[in-house]
Amino acid sequence: MYTLNAESLNFAYEPGSDVLRGVNASVIGGRITGLVGPNGSGKSTLLRLLCGFLQPNSGTVKLDGRPLVSLSAAERARTLAFLPQMVDPVFSLTVFEVVCLGRYPYTGMIGSLRSHDLEVVARCLQDTETEPLRHREFGSLSGGERQRVLLASILAQEPKLMLLDEPTSSLDIHHEVEVFELLARLARQGYGIAVVTHDLNLAAQYCEELLLLSADHSVLASGKPEEVFTEALLSTAYAASIRVGKHPFTGAPFVAAQSTRETPP
Amino acid sequence: MTVSSRSKWILPVLAVCLLIILASILFGAQSLNMAQAWHEWRTHTPLSEAPTLSILLNQRLPRTLAALLAGAGLALAGCAFQALLRNPLAEPYTLGVASAGALGTWLSFILVDVGWFFGLSLRLPTAQICAFAFAGAEVLLVYGLASRKRRMAPSVLLLAGVTMGMLGNSGIMFTRYLAAPERLVMMDRWLMGGVDVLGYRPVITLFIGVVPCAAILIAQAAKFDQFGFNAELAAGRGIHLGRLQVTTFFVGSLMTAIIVSVVGPIGFVGLVIPHSVRMITGSRHRLLMPLSLIVGGAFLCACDIAARKILPGETPIGIITTLIGGPFFLYLLIRRKFTDWDV
Ligand SMILES: Nc1ncnc2c1ncn2[C@@H]1O[C@H](COP(=O)(O)OP(=O)(O)O)[C@@H](O)[C@H]1O
Ligand SMILES: [Mg+2]
Repeated sequence: MYTLNAESLNFAYEPGSDVLRGVNASVIGGRITGLVGPNGSGKSTLLRLLCGFLQPNSGTVKLDGRPLVSLSAAERARTLAFLPQMVDPVFSLTVFEVVCLGRYPYTGMIGSLRSHDLEVVARCLQDTETEPLRHREFGSLSGGERQRVLLASILAQEPKLMLLDEPTSSLDIHHEVEVFELLARLARQGYGIAVVTHDLNLAAQYCEELLLLSADHSVLASGKPEEVFTEALLSTAYAASIRVGKHPFTGAPFVAAQSTRETPP
Repeated sequence: MTVSSRSKWILPVLAVCLLIILASILFGAQSLNMAQAWHEWRTHTPLSEAPTLSILLNQRLPRTLAALLAGAGLALAGCAFQALLRNPLAEPYTLGVASAGALGTWLSFILVDVGWFFGLSLRLPTAQICAFAFAGAEVLLVYGLASRKRRMAPSVLLLAGVTMGMLGNSGIMFTRYLAAPERLVMMDRWLMGGVDVLGYRPVITLFIGVVPCAAILIAQAAKFDQFGFNAELAAGRGIHLGRLQVTTFFVGSLMTAIIVSVVGPIGFVGLVIPHSVRMITGSRHRLLMPLSLIVGGAFLCACDIAARKILPGETPIGIITTLIGGPFFLYLLIRRKFTDWDV
């Protein structure tokens, strides 16, 4: 099992305007950690620090006790995968080609795929239900289809830990649940997953751990969904009046924003 | 159309390229009798007494080789710059690299005329060194200008490149009066672009410049695939972007500079070829780049045949590539199928 641990991270893109303040976070094999918080609270930035694209101004990121910076690029790529929030390809590639890109850390300089690589790619297409799209051009897909293809290409990288930035933001409810089911399955197989999402109810249902970032760029709460998703904490974090009940089927916290026009019962 | 159904065009395209290359050796201002050339070859006639063979070996062949090498290098530089800058309109000419290299070469001619140049006594390849100094500096400047904002804006990049190109041309005009009048005709002719080289010295220069650079660029093919798709995904898969940028800018501008220093600034090959080849190979660079290399070489051979045949006398090849590439550039601009164009 792999563990990624971040301790008291501070970060600013431009001096003086902090984007993260004293953030502790961990991504642990076998678990889904949900990162939630309002827009601009620094969730994407935290992921970039966790995968080593950005270096914190202070604080450490360690993979199994080793500083992330001490790993070679290839070693890091086979352990950690990062799925960015937005992807803007300049050239047109087919879905199959996009998923094959995920095999880069395992191929030589020429980038030719062996039969094992192709098996992995085929399995990833299956797992994300993107097999029927394989000959389509990536640029011609809908937002949700693109997200599933990207997820497939991340899976093809066979990482131990995955950092996913809003992988379900434009999925319909069927595919959103499918993706979370897939993540849960992967977690049971030992993968460690950190996922940024704005779907608090699915986060409550599928994540073992939650990290709530607030608009002032610090961690407002972290822990089990029941501990983090309280009316007080969520209302503070999102500056909205938020009610929390129980999910009728799963018993997980169930979050709803309260309209100002309603009167509370 | 899927990539596999398009890739059946690869072999026919290669065959056409081969025919063009052969034609480039066979056709010229004078029509050559191949049987005669063969006879001269077989009988080991000395070249001074074998006019046909002499034209073939000392004019047609080097000229064809020069066109092949220059076209291949320019097309490949186009592929590399487009991927690295994530901009489908980038190529040595639109980025201004070619013009900067031309200015460098021009200044080296003038420095020689004025008799200043230390390189002359050291027998250094003065023109190539000057061309690279200017081309390399230009690439860094344009890239620096365009990436000052958080995201590198494609339109800024091109505007900066085109502007630098204009500055380079003004620099050439500005220093014309320093040139020795009797050399000005030669220099002007070079400035319009032409592969009408005599003998093998220029071919060897091109060969030394293009072959290693092309090999290095093609070796980056898998990285270009990743980077063209998404920079953060590429970084996450272990690609060191800084290193890729340094390598590509250095090698790409070096190759362009050496080509320009020999055949003059020939525009738009790096734009027309990669875009056309992508239609049959898709965007995977490990197929795109080698095929662009071949098609680029054959394309410049074809342009050179046109340069020899269309008008009486020789049309500068740069004018022909611009006549083809200019409208093509406009077509790409109008079509605007670029996801991150409107930044
Ligand atoms: N590359 C960048 N340069 C400067 N500021 C940035 C950059 N990326 C994000 N920011 C700023 O950092 C803050 C946090 O952004 P982000 O991590 O993307 O938030 P989230 O993903 O939670 O919506 C925002 O105020 C954003 O404007
Ligand atoms: Mg974000």
